[in-house]
Amino acid sequence: MRNRVRELREAHGWSQGVLAEHLDVSRQTVNAIENGKYDPSLPLAFKLARLFRQRIESMFEPDEDRR
Amino acid sequence: MARVSRGKYNLQVAAIMAVYVALMLFEWPLVGKTHDLTVRAVLALLPAAPIVVVIALVVRRIIRADELEQRTYLIALSMAAGIVSVFAVVGGFLILAKVWHASGAVLFWIFPMLCFAYSIAWLFATRRITGVWDFWGC
Repeated sequence: MRNRVRELREAHGWSQGVLAEHLDVSRQTVNAIENGKYDPSLPLAFKLARLFRQRIESMFEPDEDRR
Repeated sequence: MARVSRGKYNLQVAAIMAVYVALMLFEWPLVGKTHDLTVRAVLALLPAAPIVVVIALVVRRIIRADELEQRTYLIALSMAAGIVSVFAVVGGFLILAKVWHASGAVLFWIFPMLCFAYSIAWLFATRRITGVWDFWGC
């Protein structure tokens, strides 16, 4: 999955640690999501979308290369 | 439930393990000098208490961890349990066949071995999923 988490986080001026606090996850988890190493569960993806006031499909899209 | 902070967890485990070391240094030598069976049993089992508390802390941390952490803990625990089980079965057969003359004290090594195998497995699981070597995370 490709995602816009890093872009949206930086647009809010938040560090990974601050975003991790908002989501109640570790900073390492935020880092793994941003780098595409880990795809979040649906509840966490919805939490991210709500936090950034985005539609979930505008934040995540399938990585065609990995299909 | 709020996640358990890494610093707080490490501090709690370190404090409890210090209690364990103190018990082994100062309380354990009394076991051999005590003749009353009940007192001896209590003294012998006392060092197990901090270990039980540490296991409870580990369980609490895993339950309160986020989804990625839980995944790495599960992988690490599965691998560690597998490794220790293989060693236990192999050792058990060798002892039964009287190839290896070990006493019951060999059971002491199960917990440290589990911790060691878990730490190594966790490091590799985390590296594989996050791409980072996190030496202080487990």
